[in-house]
Amino acid sequence: MKDEEIDKVLKEAAQSAQYLDQSVLERIDDSIKTSMRPIRPLPPLRLIAAGLVLICVAVSLAGAAHAGFFGIAKMNLLERSLIFPALGLLACLAAVSFVGQMIPASRLRLSPSALLVLSSAALLAVFAVLFRDYHTDHFVPAGIACLLAGLLQAIPAGLLSWLMLRRGFAVNPVSAGLVAGTLAGLAGVGMLELHCPNFQAAHILVWHTAVVPVSAALGAALGWALSFRVRSDGR
Amino acid sequence: MHSSDNSEMLMVRYQQGDFAAAAVLVERIGPRLHRFFVAQSMSRADADDLLQETWLRIHKVRHTYRSGEPALPWFYAIARHIRVDHYRKRIRAAAGERELEEKSKGASSASPEAGTVDELEALLAPLSLSQREVITMLKVEGMSLEEVARATSSTVGSVKQKVHRAYKKLRESIGAHPGRWKSGGPA
Repeated sequence: MKDEEIDKVLKEAAQSAQYLDQSVLERIDDSIKTSMRPIRPLPPLRLIAAGLVLICVAVSLAGAAHAGFFGIAKMNLLERSLIFPALGLLACLAAVSFVGQMIPASRLRLSPSALLVLSSAALLAVFAVLFRDYHTDHFVPAGIACLLAGLLQAIPAGLLSWLMLRRGFAVNPVSAGLVAGTLAGLAGVGMLELHCPNFQAAHILVWHTAVVPVSAALGAALGWALSFRVRSDGR
Repeated sequence: MHSSDNSEMLMVRYQQGDFAAAAVLVERIGPRLHRFFVAQSMSRADADDLLQETWLRIHKVRHTYRSGEPALPWFYAIARHIRVDHYRKRIRAAAGERELEEKSKGASSASPEAGTVDELEALLAPLSLSQREVITMLKVEGMSLEEVARATSSTVGSVKQKVHRAYKKLRESIGAHPGRWKSGGPA
């Protein structure tokens, strides 16, 4: 059987059915009529995305200002000119993706999981190229301190990003949470690169990069929990 | 003028508080969304409820529609969200995993001969839920691949893959009962 024949069968099956009672449509009209008023549409996508990137930059700078700019002070020109533009580019991608997640039927250029993989892989590649000190002093204690510091920085970035997009509507809260977590995690990594003077390759590759997937996982879990709560409330 | 062109203009007027535009949209899009719900193996009563729930949500989040963007995928994205929520509520309400599996098996293996089953439902019965929604949007509602991808938050490639697999199943299903569908419905 050819595809065209299947198309025809589908069309005929759909046309032969009369499903909807007119009274249902009338009830819908009645229910929306009472609250009909002009509303303010969301601002342009680029403006929201730029706002999200600015939030991440501001949170990273504020965190590093509080903890000290020891990392960037120790970096050479090549390290600075590769790490921060890469972080900026990834933050732009994550911001655009987060805006897309909060507006129904946005065009999906990069899936949430692909964004996470791309962000983690790009950071790993940049760090692997730049840092060649393979000593591992206090690998776990120093690493956990950095991971926690990065995640703590991701919290305000995530909250402020959510506040900025609170008027949006996530059709898939788990995906939206994953993307928001990735964006917030990048803010956390930004703060660590500005602050952390530990340039041991293993430390940066494992613990600094880990902020992004851990933050993304926490964001996805939060999205799931929120959607679960909304369903439980029956709203 | 293509109907979707009007839908975009009507959405902008709806955002501006024009009830007449909203009523035209309800009249035009409502039956399509209802058919979308019914094609997912839902009862008429469930489809009616979900349609009303969908419109209340559409009304609540109408500010998220962006002028100039296709309106149809926006409606379907919200309808799909409501439908997914509905299934999850049903899952939670079900007594146990086994009972749920039996229900979904029953739904997906619905016999085309069953008297109460509509032609479209019976035809789509062998397909998975994600395949059904893609086929309904693409082949029944006449949306483009790009529009379906937007509505399902996926890529065009993923939609094409689902359509390909769905057609394979449909070909087998229709081929297994030659003559049943040629007269426009189940015998």
